[in-house]
Amino acid sequence: MATAAEQWVLVEMVQALYEAPAYHLILEGILILWIIRLLFSKTYKLQERSDLTVKEKEELIEEWQPEPLVPPISKDHPALNYNIVSGPPSHNIVVNGKKCVNFASFNFLGLLDNPRVKAAALASLKKYGVGTCGPRGFYGTFDVHLDLEDRLAKFMKTEEAIIYSYGFATIASAIPAYSKRGDIVFVDRAACFAIQKGLQASRSDIKLFKHNDMADLERLLKEQEMEDQKNPRKARVTRRFIVAEGLYMNTGTICPLPELVKLKYKYKARIFLEESLSFGVLGEHGRGVTEHFGISIDDIDLISANMENSLASIGGFCCGRSFVIDHQRLSGQGYCFSASLPPLLAAAAIEALNIMEENPGIFSVLKEKCKRIHKALQGISGLKVVGESLSPAFHLQLKDSTGSREKDVKLLQEIVNHCMDRSIALTQARYLEKEEKCLPPPSIRVVVTVEQTDEELERAARTIKEVAQAVLL
Amino acid sequence: LILLTPFIPFFSIPVVWTLTNVIHNLAMYVFLHTVKGTPFETPDQGKARLLTHWEQMDYGLQFTSSRKFLSISPIVLYLLASFYTKYDAAHFIINTASLLSVLLPKLPQFHGVRLFGINKY
Repeated sequence: MATAAEQWVLVEMVQALYEAPAYHLILEGILILWIIRLLFSKTYKLQERSDLTVKEKEELIEEWQPEPLVPPISKDHPALNYNIVSGPPSHNIVVNGKKCVNFASFNFLGLLDNPRVKAAALASLKKYGVGTCGPRGFYGTFDVHLDLEDRLAKFMKTEEAIIYSYGFATIASAIPAYSKRGDIVFVDRAACFAIQKGLQASRSDIKLFKHNDMADLERLLKEQEMEDQKNPRKARVTRRFIVAEGLYMNTGTICPLPELVKLKYKYKARIFLEESLSFGVLGEHGRGVTEHFGISIDDIDLISANMENSLASIGGFCCGRSFVIDHQRLSGQGYCFSASLPPLLAAAAIEALNIMEENPGIFSVLKEKCKRIHKALQGISGLKVVGESLSPAFHLQLKDSTGSREKDVKLLQEIVNHCMDRSIALTQARYLEKEEKCLPPPSIRVVVTVEQTDEELERAARTIKEVAQAVLL
Repeated sequence: LILLTPFIPFFSIPVVWTLTNVIHNLAMYVFLHTVKGTPFETPDQGKARLLTHWEQMDYGLQFTSSRKFLSISPIVLYLLASFYTKYDAAHFIINTASLLSVLLPKLPQFHGVRLFGINKY
């Protein structure tokens, strides 16, 4: 019964085919021809690259001279003559067999040699072993990691925190997780190398503004606003970010955070704060530059810091609102694709946080020492102090440069060597000269830690003064 | 899959075929020619952020086999639909309009073209 009905319908259909209107049949014919054309057309690319003729190719091949695999460099390049440190880089450091007072490592709170931190690390070593052998998503998440994230979020008074296993990779993964091609980032000229690499990886438009110059930043933001008004549909899709460091590593100055927050709300951009040097240094309880200025932490969208300075551990963390940090768990490249932090370092960081929370007095002690040595080092002939009085890592630059960077570097190296002979360990600030966007002038970096006594600070200031007088005059 | 729709509603066969054709073309238009970018991170560092799926297919190479298949399938559906609707004029208009809306964006001349600035960013 069904088949008969179907056949009858089919017959009707075929009948209708003969009575079809002409335009329809023509259209169908065109479509069938189109199908045949599609089936037989070759694949081709839309934009052809300019083709070189065979002769041109041969010419180019003949002209090419291979560069040496290792370019020739002078024998006294700093990478070839490094100082060897035996023992931990704590307060007294043994450089090339000579015992010196350490003014070079970023060990601000002296937690590197702290027996409690070491005990916690050893206990965790016995419990978990050394490494995690896996990224966070692949059996690399231990309870110490979750614990550390919780503690950091509570300490910084944010909703959530996320841990990275390498301090450099923290900000270099956090920036490309949010800012993609077509977004605009306003960044300071003196931003550290990690920020520059993160910006390069994100492929966004970078607008540099002069260091700590809010008027320059406002000018750039205004220009961007005018462009946005010309093209509102594009503006709705582009995201705008401001990246600033709390305490700049290259200059030792603090960023003007209240003005940044004002600009943020005026021009609708998002702030990423990089607190590597200011975490555990600024503020009453060591919470960083937001506590220092008294700004609510909800105003800042993302705070990223590395634990290698004050916390004397390895790795870095980002903290902020929940939905901001959660995004990094899938799109932070350094989080998903590299092994997680070894649990002994996480336990050491937790213990260091405990110490920081228990005696908040060390932060004011550190500030005192910074101010003292800052005053003591003023007025050295030939060297000027670059950095704020509150910053524990500041630079000594030559007052009048000799004109060539190499000679400056050599002079400063002499000063450093002489200081090392008198058992004060200093170091020059090193940069990858070809890769930095805005290369800072060569300088000696002096670091103040809580462990240095006042008399050691006085001695260091005196030594530097004498050595500078001897070398530069 | 597409042919399951005839059995669900109680419309007549021509309406069912037109409906199938229109729904298929609409879905194809939305997924291939309207939605832009990628739902996941790609190794091309975001170059495809403003490109529809059709433009991203095979990295912009025209007339590859997947593109040919996706161009031919709405045409085949159109031919079947017009056969089953007995070449009725009203159905013809609807089917042809929906076929054109799906075929035109697939032409290589329309690669990256945004008419009237719709869907530009």
